[in-house]
Amino acid sequence: MEGPNDPKPSIKIENGKITEMDSKSVKDFDLIDLYIAKYGIKLENAEKVMAMDSTKIANMLCDPNVPREDIIALTTAMTPAKAEEVISKLNFAEMIMATQKMRPRRTPATQCHVTNIRDNPVQIAADAADAALRGFPEQETTTAVARYAPLNAISLLVGAQTGRPGVISQCSVEEAAELNLGMRGFTGYAETISVYGTDKVFTDGDDTPWSKGFLASCYASRGLKMRFTSGSGSEVMMGYTEGKSMLYLESRCIFITKASGVQGLQNGGVSCIGIPGSVPGGIRSVLGENLLCMMMDLECASANDQAFSHSDMRRTERLLGQFIAGTDYISSGYSSTPNYDNTFAGSNTDGLDYDDYYVMERDLAINGGIHPVTEEEIIKGRNKAAKALQGVFEDLGLPKITDEEVEAATYANTSKDMPERNMVEDMKAAQDLMDRGITAVDVVKALYNHGFKDVAQAVLDLQKQKVCGDFLQTSAIFDENWNVISAVNDANDYRGPGTGYRLQEDKDEWERIKNIPFAIDPQHMEL
Amino acid sequence: MSEIDDLVAKIVQQIGDNGGTSTGTTPTSTTNEKDLTRNDYPLYSKHPELVQSPSGKHLDQITLDNVMSNKIKSNDLRITPNTLRLQGEVANDAGRDAIQRNFKRAAELTSIPDERLLEMYNALRPYRSSKAELLAISDELKTKYNAPVNAGWFAEAADYYESRKKLKGDN
Repeated sequence: MEGPNDPKPSIKIENGKITEMDSKSVKDFDLIDLYIAKYGIKLENAEKVMAMDSTKIANMLCDPNVPREDIIALTTAMTPAKAEEVISKLNFAEMIMATQKMRPRRTPATQCHVTNIRDNPVQIAADAADAALRGFPEQETTTAVARYAPLNAISLLVGAQTGRPGVISQCSVEEAAELNLGMRGFTGYAETISVYGTDKVFTDGDDTPWSKGFLASCYASRGLKMRFTSGSGSEVMMGYTEGKSMLYLESRCIFITKASGVQGLQNGGVSCIGIPGSVPGGIRSVLGENLLCMMMDLECASANDQAFSHSDMRRTERLLGQFIAGTDYISSGYSSTPNYDNTFAGSNTDGLDYDDYYVMERDLAINGGIHPVTEEEIIKGRNKAAKALQGVFEDLGLPKITDEEVEAATYANTSKDMPERNMVEDMKAAQDLMDRGITAVDVVKALYNHGFKDVAQAVLDLQKQKVCGDFLQTSAIFDENWNVISAVNDANDYRGPGTGYRLQEDKDEWERIKNIPFAIDPQHMEL
Repeated sequence: MSEIDDLVAKIVQQIGDNGGTSTGTTPTSTTNEKDLTRNDYPLYSKHPELVQSPSGKHLDQITLDNVMSNKIKSNDLRITPNTLRLQGEVANDAGRDAIQRNFKRAAELTSIPDERLLEMYNALRPYRSSKAELLAISDELKTKYNAPVNAGWFAEAADYYESRKKLKGDN
């Protein structure tokens, strides 16, 4: 933010077309500039908004009396440099105030990672059910070995729907492979569709704004939810910043997302958090980029998803802006397993932090997106998910899941607790499954055939939602009855005290958060 | 039957012959209906009657029994151009016209088989295609799939890839 080489905000419009943007004339535009100028800015009010004082707009952002929609009318008529300038006027507390108002969905939530370093499918299913019970409405997996992708996606799908119907799941792999999994119905959404702020890095990422925009439409054409991913530091890590500040480059990514008609973005350093995390004001800038995303009316999955410090205080520092303000997904994601098994290189918070996280929610009366669950419920859910997957593997002709594995997955802390599987056989079977044209319908049938009618119904219900498309709208998640909750029917209406989402008014969730299982009633304390 | 209906039917026939997956025919909408608003959302509970699968099945026909008896197949579980149009109207009414534009492009892509769609995406990645190859896809989109917006997208990319050096051999 406030980089000495960042361009001065400017716009020139001639005959309904942008001929100058952020001190660059159209003949010097790279592909990113061309794309944003054509699709990313509403021209009607652009000259007026660009002439407004940035400090005044920043003031409106954190003033609860100015409604969210009034801000959106301004931000969508700005250039990337102007948006960066507005954000740079805010201190950290003001960013929290603004985020509380600008988050698209009224109800905050969070997302988790479900992975393990041996790609053990039974453990993925059990961990997915476990995380679903804790309240994560979105779950993300990836692979340790790329060829496992279909198995991981299926294991996550079955496990998550066993834990709580209505969870949507994704498998983060190479772009075309990821879309293929979605087309088959193994996943419900996608997120790792990366965009970058300089032309060279975008090209190194093997895409252009046009290919990414097309990919976005491909996803929607199959009824799949998707968001893009970007984040401060990626251009630094990939070596081509053009001397610009991280926030300015991130602003360009956010505008590319908006221009593509994609409903949301995962941003906030993300896997490159080590870079902004190591410079003065970097974590402030990261909250600023989340806010910039939300003020463009985009769903924001606000990162907090990669370890950048071993200091518990700094981990909390990283989290607290998004946690206090509440975002569409405070983490994207929270490692549901201990970080030992996190194949996204470890998250900022992991399974071993659950208890502290619950207490933070309880102490501050904040909905951080998850809630405590009793040990009995967790064990039951994990066991059922492992058994359900055992049935699916048998029906689909995949390598056998033994009863011993089911038992181990029920109680496993990490993959160290799991019996060895023949990974070569698993990988062969994964490829074969793709070659045979297996789809989610086969998974539904397999579940039904093995007596898991409720899970079969949940997997089918997810496919049904793809026919209906309600969850393609901004910031969409589902409750346990497949009622969609999005920025359309649950629009953020925060206007200061007494308005917006209040945990105490969300009585069921507040009860769950208050009742931490390890609290001791002093009246029944034994000495 | 309009020409579009005929064309879609023909494409579906071709895809069926190739054993590919596709969305099949879709009920066309009347154009003079009033646009949906955010108050019509979610369609699942408020307007299930407007939503059909590619083969014309309603949501309440997508049941476990029908899956088990093969009356519902994988190809039935897809979104149609009409549903994308309706969701686009909802998005637009909620102030998100960019999303509506994306859904318009997406609606055109529903009839393209998975494999071909993946190939088209890959062709649009940097340094993959010559200008002529991109324009050929543009033409294919226009004539074979009746996808004028996406045809324009590829033609626009072809121009810019030429001037900004992203064509095959430019690297």
